[in-house]
Amino acid sequence: MPEIDKIDILVGIASYNNAKTIDHVVRAVDAGLAKYFSDKKAVIVNSDGSSKDGTQDIVKTTTLDHAAMFLTYPAYPAHRISMPYDGIPGKGSAFRLILQKAVEMQADACCVVDADLRSITPEWIELLLSPIIKGGFDFAAPLYSRHKYDGTITNSIVYPMTRALYGQRVRQPIGGDFGFSGRLAEFYLKQDVWETHVARFGIDIWMTTEAIANDFKVCQTFLGAKIHDPKDPASDLSDMLLQVIVTLFNLMDRHYQKWKDIKGSKDVPTCGFRYHVGLEPVKVNIVKMLDIFRTGISNLKLIWTEIMGQGDFGEIEKIGGLSDREFRFPAALWTGVVYDYAIAYHKKMMSSEHLIKSLVPLYLGRAASFMMEVEEMEHHKVEEEIEKVCLEFENQKDYLINNWR
Amino acid sequence: MENFIHVLLDPLKDFWAGFIVFVPKFIAMFIIFAGGVIIAWALKLLLLRTLLAANFDAWADKAGLTAIIRKGDIWGKPSDISGKILYWFVVIIFLMIGLNALQIQTVDKVVSQFFLYLPRIFSALLIFVIGYVIAGFISRAVLIAAVNSGYHYAKIVAEAVRLLLIVFILAMVLEQLSVAPSIVVAAFSIMFGGVVIALAIAFGVGGIDAARRIIEKGSEEKKEAEKDVEHL
Repeated sequence: MPEIDKIDILVGIASYNNAKTIDHVVRAVDAGLAKYFSDKKAVIVNSDGSSKDGTQDIVKTTTLDHAAMFLTYPAYPAHRISMPYDGIPGKGSAFRLILQKAVEMQADACCVVDADLRSITPEWIELLLSPIIKGGFDFAAPLYSRHKYDGTITNSIVYPMTRALYGQRVRQPIGGDFGFSGRLAEFYLKQDVWETHVARFGIDIWMTTEAIANDFKVCQTFLGAKIHDPKDPASDLSDMLLQVIVTLFNLMDRHYQKWKDIKGSKDVPTCGFRYHVGLEPVKVNIVKMLDIFRTGISNLKLIWTEIMGQGDFGEIEKIGGLSDREFRFPAALWTGVVYDYAIAYHKKMMSSEHLIKSLVPLYLGRAASFMMEVEEMEHHKVEEEIEKVCLEFENQKDYLINNWR
Repeated sequence: MENFIHVLLDPLKDFWAGFIVFVPKFIAMFIIFAGGVIIAWALKLLLLRTLLAANFDAWADKAGLTAIIRKGDIWGKPSDISGKILYWFVVIIFLMIGLNALQIQTVDKVVSQFFLYLPRIFSALLIFVIGYVIAGFISRAVLIAAVNSGYHYAKIVAEAVRLLLIVFILAMVLEQLSVAPSIVVAAFSIMFGGVVIALAIAFGVGGIDAARRIIEKGSEEKKEAEKDVEHL
C-alpha cells in the first residue's frame, strides 16, 4: 500500500474466521465509498483476530468492477489494509487497532461494520458516514429492524438502562456497526480500558455510553434489517452477558456525577428512511428458559436474597410457582432486580463474575415472559411494550440513586 | 542431738537456698507475663483502632469473611475476633518466654519445642484460611455454572465440590502440622482416588445413556443454531 499521510474516511471491519461473508462486506463497503464518497480519500482497514480460514487473503483480493456499477470511477479508490491485532482476543481489541489507524491517518470520519453481515449494502456506508461528514455529529448509532425476539439483552437491560441513566434514547446501544468522528476516535483511543471487558463484547456499550456521557453529538441512523452469519455456538450467553453488563456497570461508576441528576429521557436525531422489513423467523425454547429460571430459584436462593433482599426474592419465588402458560415476570419487578444488581456490583458485594452470571436465570425468566407477552403482537406494539419497560426504569431511578452511596 | 538438728535443718536450708534462687526467677516470670498481658492488651487496642479506621468489618462482610466466621458459630465482629486472636497469641508467647525464665529443664524443652512448632502452626492456619475461601469461591462458581446449564441438582454438585476441597485442605493442614503424616497422606490418597474411580465408574457405567443424550443434544444444537434467538 502506498504511504498515505492524511485521509478523509476510514472504514473498519473487525473479523475472525469470516471467510464466508467478508467478501460481500468488503464489496459493499467499497461500492458504498465509490458511490457516495468518490471525492474522498478512504481506507478500508480489516482488523483480524488471526483467522484460520483465509479471511485476510479474501480482504486483500476481493475486487469490484466500478465501471460495471457506476458511471464514473472514484477519484480516490479506497485502499485496503488487513492486519492481525494483538492483545486480548475479541471485538474490542480489533476496534482498538482500527482506532489507532484512524488516529494515525487523521481520518475525519470513520465507521465500523461487522464482518459477518449478510444484509449490508453500499447504502449502509452512506448512512453511517453522512451524519458525521455532513450532519456534524460525532457518533452515529445503528437502528435496525430486528425480529421481536432478537436483541433481548438490548431490549430488557441495555436500552432501558442507558436511556434511564443518561437520558438519551439510543435504541441500539450495542448494535455493533457505528459511525464516528476523528476526534471521537482520538478520545476513545486515549482511554485506559483496553485490557478489560471492553476488549471483547463490552466494546459496543462502551463506545455508545462514552459518546453520550462525554457530550459528543449523538444520532442514530436507520440501516434496515440486520442479518448475519449465525454466532459461534461456543459463544456462551453468560459470557456475553458478563462482558456487556460489567462494562455497563463500570460505566455507571465512572459517570455517576453525570447520570445522578438526569431525569426522564429525550429522543436523539434519527437519520435514514424508516421502513418495516420482513424478517426471518426465530426459534425460541421458552420451556428451557423457564426451566433454568426455576432451577435458579431452587439453587441460588442465598445469592439472590443477598443481592435483592427477601422481599423481591419472595416475588420471584411467587412467579416461579406459576404454570408456564400463566408465567409473567412484571417489568417493575425486573427493573428492581436490575437496579439491585447494579447496586450490588457498585458495593462489590461479591466477585463480579459470580454476580453477573447469577443474573442469567433471572434474565432468561424475564426474556421468556416478554416473548410470551409479545407472541401475537405486531412490530409497533412490541415497541410499545419495550417503551413501558423503559419508563419503569426511568420511574424507579430514584431507588437506584438513593441506594447507590 | 546436734546431728539430729542438722538432719532437720539441712533440707530446710536447701529448700530456702532453692527458694531464694527460685523466687527471683518466678518474679521475673511473673513480670514478663504481666508485661506480656499489658503489651497484648495495647496491641489489641491498636489493631482494633486500625481495623476500625480501615472499615475492616464492612470489607469482611463484602469479602464473605463474616459469613465464613458465622458458619463456624462465631458471632462477634471480625475486628473483635482479630483483636482477641492477637491478644491471646501475644499472651501465650509471653507466657512461654516467662516459663523459660524459670530455667527448669523440662519446661525449657517444652518451650523450645513450642517455638520450633510455631511456624508450622502459622503456615497451617494460613493454608486453612486461604483454602477455605478458595473452596467457597470455586463451589459458588460451580453452583452458578451448573444452574445456568439447567442442571437441577446444582446445589448438591456445588456442595460436593466444596466438601472435596475442604477434605483436600484439611489433609494439607494436617500434613503441615506433622500429625501422623504418613497416615494422612495414605488416607487422603485412598479417599480421593476412591471418589475419582467411583465417579468414573458411575458415569461410565450408569451414565452411558445420559452421556449419549448430552452428546446428541450438543450436535443437535449445533445443527439448529442457525435459527436460534440472538441475545445481543
